[in-house]
Amino acid sequence: MRFYFLALGTLVIVCVGCADGQQLVRKNEYHAPPAQMLAQPGPMVGGPGPGVMAANFPPPGIMPVNYMVPGGPEAAAPRTSQMKFLGPEGMHVGWQIGQAFAEHQIMAPGRYNFSQGATYRLKLSDIPGREGLTIYPTLHVYPTLSQTSAYLSHNALPLRINDEDLDQVETNNFVTKVIYLPDAKYQELAIAGVEELVSTRLGPGLDPVAEADRRGTIMAVLRMGNMDYEMPGQTNGLTMNGQDAAIDLVDGEAGQFVPPQPIGDFQAAGGNVPDAMVMGGPAGPGQPPYDMIAGVNAPMYGMPTVGTPIGLPGPPHLPYGRPAGLKSHTIRNLTSVDIGEPVDHMLIDVKHDPGIRMPHPVKHVEYTETHPVYSPGETSVPAWSN
Amino acid sequence: MRLSLILTSWLALAATAAAQNPEDTRRFYPLDHQQPVGRAGRWQATIYPGLSSYSQPVRIALPSEGEVTFYQGSPQAGVVTPAPAQAGMQVGYVYRVKIAQMADYPGVELYPTIELLDRLHPPTELKDKFPIPIELTTAEIETALNDQMVTKVIYLEQPQLATPTRQIDGKMHTEVLEHDINLLEAADRRGRPIAIVRLGGRIPDPQSPQDEFFSTSPLTFIPQP
Repeated sequence: MRFYFLALGTLVIVCVGCADGQQLVRKNEYHAPPAQMLAQPGPMVGGPGPGVMAANFPPPGIMPVNYMVPGGPEAAAPRTSQMKFLGPEGMHVGWQIGQAFAEHQIMAPGRYNFSQGATYRLKLSDIPGREGLTIYPTLHVYPTLSQTSAYLSHNALPLRINDEDLDQVETNNFVTKVIYLPDAKYQELAIAGVEELVSTRLGPGLDPVAEADRRGTIMAVLRMGNMDYEMPGQTNGLTMNGQDAAIDLVDGEAGQFVPPQPIGDFQAAGGNVPDAMVMGGPAGPGQPPYDMIAGVNAPMYGMPTVGTPIGLPGPPHLPYGRPAGLKSHTIRNLTSVDIGEPVDHMLIDVKHDPGIRMPHPVKHVEYTETHPVYSPGETSVPAWSN
Repeated sequence: MRLSLILTSWLALAATAAAQNPEDTRRFYPLDHQQPVGRAGRWQATIYPGLSSYSQPVRIALPSEGEVTFYQGSPQAGVVTPAPAQAGMQVGYVYRVKIAQMADYPGVELYPTIELLDRLHPPTELKDKFPIPIELTTAEIETALNDQMVTKVIYLEQPQLATPTRQIDGKMHTEVLEHDINLLEAADRRGRPIAIVRLGGRIPDPQSPQDEFFSTSPLTFIPQP
């Protein structure tokens, strides 16, 4: 009985240890930040810095066009997202250009490259089977992130507006469609493909944007309602303050094409987050390194462009134009770090297995020449000897 | 009782081991195939500075007849070559090519990219005879046409780990792995990663001929196969 409890206790210990799992896996593993973090020395600070791999920017003297330097496309990640309007087939897509709409710019199925980090107002008209229906959805085109860069370089974002969406809009409902790239753990197929979340197909209380953000990386959001933005004499549409602006008639069917103008930033309010500061570093292979000179071709050292006490550009949490109210700004790095002490004496043992066995070097040579001995009359050379 | 305990413990350990990723090499890989295009090549060119100056022949084959267009800048500078087509590419660079005029896909144009990670080491005079083979299959083309993305990592097999299967009609041995597998790690486990090929359905912007789409990486035109 005593052995039984001893065995039972051992079994419980083994099972608990294995149930954790992490300990067994972590024992011989080493971790470093992922590549995206290694390419940047810190939050909102552009690379490179000490120990930072591969800059995300083209070195000076080289035009910032794609693919010019090894890894160039990373420096010029796609700045546009190609939207592919799949249907309904025959639907015309237009967009807002300032105070007017450019109509009939694309007919579905069709594509257009939208600049990223902006919101556009589209005009969907001539929808087959929905005579008289014109919809003015907004399209948020998200910026490229590390997770979506490769996908957006190679794929268009498919957008199909189906009958269910149109029915919802016509019955005064608001439809939100989110196009996102699922994380690997949410991918069901071995091949990467975008997925779409629609607000009308989610349960009540679920935000499709939040849900898509949880499952992956959002690339575009389309929001549709039945508000008419071209009512004559309107006061809250394109014409502001009750004044009719000059309306430029742009019609794609007449061969006129005008690119869309964003109606807003990617952010709901506020401006862009300032870009990371580029401090200098190595250029491409075979090219001399370059340096940013503070105050000449780089911001003055020690002159932060925002009020963060670390002296680096940060998120604009201090509103411009107001007295700074921040009294303390502390960032604590709580990462457990175990990188060992510096090595002062290195010993490397190398060994061939099996070992090397070759003939030993020669250290003694005995060389004997045996010459024939002839008596007179036994040779014919020289002739006079005979 | 002792035998039973040992067996139970072994089963628990076996279950834990089975739960691990079979492609996991238990080494840290900061890069994977989903990184932004060009990052892996750039790291490689930075780590091995001499690599990027070598012009490595690359041969692109299509499932049937077709054309391959190589670009050196704008789309106006394309060089149209019947498939299979080959050109010299440099390690660390990314190349966008166009495949078109395919017999099975009339009117279809696709623009895969090729990111070169490493080179081969044939005898110098036979360099053009041993290009990196890139074979685009019917299934991959149809996947791209369905707005999905195909990512392939081409690797040079390690002789001791080479798959003991015969190449039929010279077709490369291909494995399809799950999406959450790091293809670079899986290729490194089997040999030496040479190139990443990405294929999707995006096409250049017809309204903007100077699209950011095309590559300007240095090309060398070599005798066709």
